Amino acid sequence: MNQFIQSLVDAISGGAILGLAALSIGLVFGVIRLANFAQGEIITASAYTLIFTWQFGWFISIPLSIVVAIALSLLMEFAVFSRMRTATPATLLIASFGLSFLLQRVYELLFTNTVQTAPVASGLAQSIDVGGVRIQMLSVVTIILAGALLYGLTMFLTKSSLGLQLQAAAADFRTARLIGISASRVIGLSFALSGVLAAAVAFVSTVQTGAVGPTFGVPIVILALVGAVIGGIDKLSGALAGGFLVGFATSMLASWLPQDFSNFRDAYVFGLVILVLLFRPSGLLIKGRGVART
Amino acid sequence: MSEVLARSKTSLRWRLGPVWSLANLLLIVYLVTLATSFLGESIQVQLQFALVNLVIVVALQMFIGTSGVLSFGHIAFVAVGAWTVGLLTIEPDLKRSLLSDMFPFLFDVQAPWLVAVFIGGAVGGLLALVVSPFLMRLNGLQAGIATFALLGVVTQVLTYWSSIGPRSGQSMVGIPDVLTLQTTMFFALGAIVLAWLFQRTKPARLLRAAREDGIAAAASGINIVSQRIIAFAVSGIVAGVAGGLFALTNRVLQASQLGIELTFVTLAMLVLGGMLSLSGAVIGALVFSLIDVGLVQLQSGVDLGSFIVSLPQGVRPIILGLILVGFLIFRSSGLTGGREIVWPFRPQRTALPGVPVKNE
Amino acid sequence: MPTHEIGLVVENLCVSYAGVPAVRGVNLEVKAGEAIGLIGPNGAGKSSTLLGIMGATARTGTVRINGNDVTGLPPEKVVRQGVAIVPEGRHIFAELTVLDNLRLGLVGRREKTGIPEAFVDVFTLFPILEEFQGRKAGLLSGGQQQQLAIGRSLMANPDIILLDEPSLGLSPTAVDTVFEALDVVRKAGKAVLIVEQRAEFTIAFSDKTFVLHDGLITLTLGPDDANNVDALTKAYFG
Repeated sequence: MNQFIQSLVDAISGGAILGLAALSIGLVFGVIRLANFAQGEIITASAYTLIFTWQFGWFISIPLSIVVAIALSLLMEFAVFSRMRTATPATLLIASFGLSFLLQRVYELLFTNTVQTAPVASGLAQSIDVGGVRIQMLSVVTIILAGALLYGLTMFLTKSSLGLQLQAAAADFRTARLIGISASRVIGLSFALSGVLAAAVAFVSTVQTGAVGPTFGVPIVILALVGAVIGGIDKLSGALAGGFLVGFATSMLASWLPQDFSNFRDAYVFGLVILVLLFRPSGLLIKGRGVART
Repeated sequence: MSEVLARSKTSLRWRLGPVWSLANLLLIVYLVTLATSFLGESIQVQLQFALVNLVIVVALQMFIGTSGVLSFGHIAFVAVGAWTVGLLTIEPDLKRSLLSDMFPFLFDVQAPWLVAVFIGGAVGGLLALVVSPFLMRLNGLQAGIATFALLGVVTQVLTYWSSIGPRSGQSMVGIPDVLTLQTTMFFALGAIVLAWLFQRTKPARLLRAAREDGIAAAASGINIVSQRIIAFAVSGIVAGVAGGLFALTNRVLQASQLGIELTFVTLAMLVLGGMLSLSGAVIGALVFSLIDVGLVQLQSGVDLGSFIVSLPQGVRPIILGLILVGFLIFRSSGLTGGREIVWPFRPQRTALPGVPVKNE
Repeated sequence: MPTHEIGLVVENLCVSYAGVPAVRGVNLEVKAGEAIGLIGPNGAGKSSTLLGIMGATARTGTVRINGNDVTGLPPEKVVRQGVAIVPEGRHIFAELTVLDNLRLGLVGRREKTGIPEAFVDVFTLFPILEEFQGRKAGLLSGGQQQQLAIGRSLMANPDIILLDEPSLGLSPTAVDTVFEALDVVRKAGKAVLIVEQRAEFTIAFSDKTFVLHDGLITLTLGPDDANNVDALTKAYFG
């Protein structure tokens, strides 16, 4: 029973992180129909920042990692995606795929293939005792962090003018422009917010592993993208839910799969994904079997 | 009278054009192969790999170019084709000692390499056929994700399932050295001819029509899904054959070679050349490989007389990545612009039957 | 230095889509306090004219808003010159509340003052919007959504309002409500340009009505022509 609660907490935490990652992808997709494969490289850049600057203190390192994430995100939009406004979502996906590959090789060139390590927030890597159950402190912090970010984002989207504008642009981009909403501002905003979320994901993942290599963000973004699509990448709630589901399932499988099958964990997750896409191509949270706007 | 003549001239060019484009492509591949035979062993090896990639890209084009649907998963078919050929051509004793966890019957299955390649193609096609009823309903982004998931499943299975291959971390070695550059070229030529023939079949024409206007196609009663299944399966066969060629060229197999990186490289070749035409697939593969070879040379240092130019290690994939992204931004229709090469005739919008000439 | 003229001036507007011309040289003018109608058969280029004015599609020609040349500006900047559009099909944001939809209309507003009064004005014009302000906009009826779309455009306090087929899909009562409100708007000094398919109604309502046929204005009608069957037939069938 205790083991179950432990694995449950870990799974919720894993789901939370992947949910945030999927949300970061969904934010941008909602506005410009881009599923950004290169989001993983934003996570990696943020993680590298943490590793290299942790020695200067967390109050420098963490804000810097957020700045780097936002900056790289905006740079991608400015350098690449802003020039592809008329491309189909599939072409944009190939472009982001190519950009992702490109950036990974850049990281390889700059930082070599060897993982870089640093004791980032090592205080969080311990377990605490709650009523006889050993729970990872990091898992608890992750859940709280995710909850806080979600709350903040929801408040922003529903209460502030800019947030409303972002929602409007995601719902009906053309009409949004016709009533005076600035396209570039809203798009930039979505990329910036997605960078913030990426920084959070990077922080938790870095604390967890303590080591960062050029392909750090790749497995995260693969699962996040896949989760966003099966949850319904059209809506923010769908992307979040899908990401959470994939993260939760992956974590549970990691905890409970018998030894012989544990290597195939990812295969099971992928298989699950294909199954879901079969029956619900628009995503789990979208009612009906309509084909999504792609 | 002159009107009739004019019409028949047009129809002559209409009929001749496609055949000419095929001849052009075959000629280009043949000449390139001929040229490298004077250039030394290492270039020839690189060309052999390039030709294998060409077959993969042709397979990709057969599906993506015709249906307009993205597939990130074709390397899965390449992988199973390669695996099949590996298992069928490695000596049984070698299999017993190095791939000891496998199912016993796999130790003894053997086939002559040529037969093995075609079996590999069949296996690739079979896998494509089995998954296609599910995947072919999806459009755009979902198709990309689903086919990507397929690749993920296949990669994981091939990496870890030691009952059908090596243990994770180990490679399949001992594939015999029987494939010459010439034979590879013939396979490449054959793939091009096959793709060209496929372009002319009814399913391909229907798919192109559906690609241009999906709603009109559906309204005309075309069952898009069945046509896509056919295209997917046929391209899966070609991809499987390419996999077999890969196995025989590389002679060592590891699942990691047949995953995301190869997907990226082959997609980049297709984008570079132009997704919509067969010429695009061929030109893209050749030009990309040429650039790659050039970059390899630069990496080892090129003597320009008074100084040596050399690229630092690790810049090569970055340049290739920049090319892909650059083309997607600035010229997403690729080098050929989606048109077939009908030199010395002037290029038409498309030289394919069943596609109306569009005004731009 | 010419006086600051309130109004819309369109000179030789041309719009084409992929080489096919939709608007082939339209000239019109809408002054403050005026309502101008633009009617014509399907495909005549009416929507394209409005979109061209807003800068939402590539166009040639000159568009002047309050004397300022807005050629080449993107829609979000054109809005800030003082023009608002109520698009065809209403296009309200269904998942947001009525109030939020109205708030979004404020984005295009030039002044930062007078906002509470703006809400009061819109609610006075369309009392149903005040009643349903907390409701999701997608749950409103067609007529109510049209009121919301117009209210949203009014929140920006534009000098010029463009409407694309406001009566589309509406019941007769709903159409009456809409045009009564438009009359109030006209009398308040705004310049109103209405694109419509319902010829008689528009001709009777507007100070002047242009007939658009195949991308060009072919006829100008006044309110007295509303019952003139010959003129109407000529307008629609050339």
